[in-house]
Amino acid sequence: MDPDRLRSEVRDKYRDVAAHPHAEHHFHTGRPLAARLGYPPEVVDPLPDAAVESFAGVGNPFSLRTLRPGESVVDIGSGAGFDSFVAATMVGATGRVTGVDMTPEMLAKSRANARALGLRNVEFREGLAEQLPVGTAEADVVISNGVINLCADKRAVFDEVVRVLRPGGILQFADIANGRPVPEGALRDIDLWTG
Amino acid sequence: MLEDVGLVDIVVGPPVDTFGGAPGEQNARAFDVYGYAFLARKPS
Repeated sequence: MDPDRLRSEVRDKYRDVAAHPHAEHHFHTGRPLAARLGYPPEVVDPLPDAAVESFAGVGNPFSLRTLRPGESVVDIGSGAGFDSFVAATMVGATGRVTGVDMTPEMLAKSRANARALGLRNVEFREGLAEQLPVGTAEADVVISNGVINLCADKRAVFDEVVRVLRPGGILQFADIANGRPVPEGALRDIDLWTG
Repeated sequence: MLEDVGLVDIVVGPPVDTFGGAPGEQNARAFDVYGYAFLARKPS
């Protein structure tokens, strides 16, 4: 799989999700998806529609561990910001969340949502999962949701995760995994990567 | 791969039927695709 082509196709797909969250996509989105994945209503319900509608995760990165007040968190592929906002609530005013995304439309939406929510402990940076715009050992926790499977070079992503985590830091993420082997031909099918 | 990069204490959560009822369900079923939560730690 050509990484540049895959990245371009993924960017196009999520540009569409940012602009048209209620259109038919191959995956669920928004509040119904958050409920399906087990996010507590008391966390999701207070968020405005604009902060939830483009959510397109595949699991719940907080299901195995909740974040602690004061933690510094990096969200890889933060999209319109849903998981970053959940994280910001958990880490509180003494914590910090840095969302990273490569899609300009998602970045614009997440930044607008953060302003609307009045969150001062969240920021969003443009960047790639394989080249995170985050300093070495700056993060207590790295989160991600449904993003790493879309990256052609997963080893590079995990190497970046290890670089930005402090010693003892935590990676907690959600992603898809297949229980049956994917044929070689399907691995080269860009439509199966992006939808 | 998590072990390959040096992460430890790896935990994988139960499968979630992420694509059930969505237009992508057929592809997901074809390859037994589910969502999972993962937890791992960078050694101190």
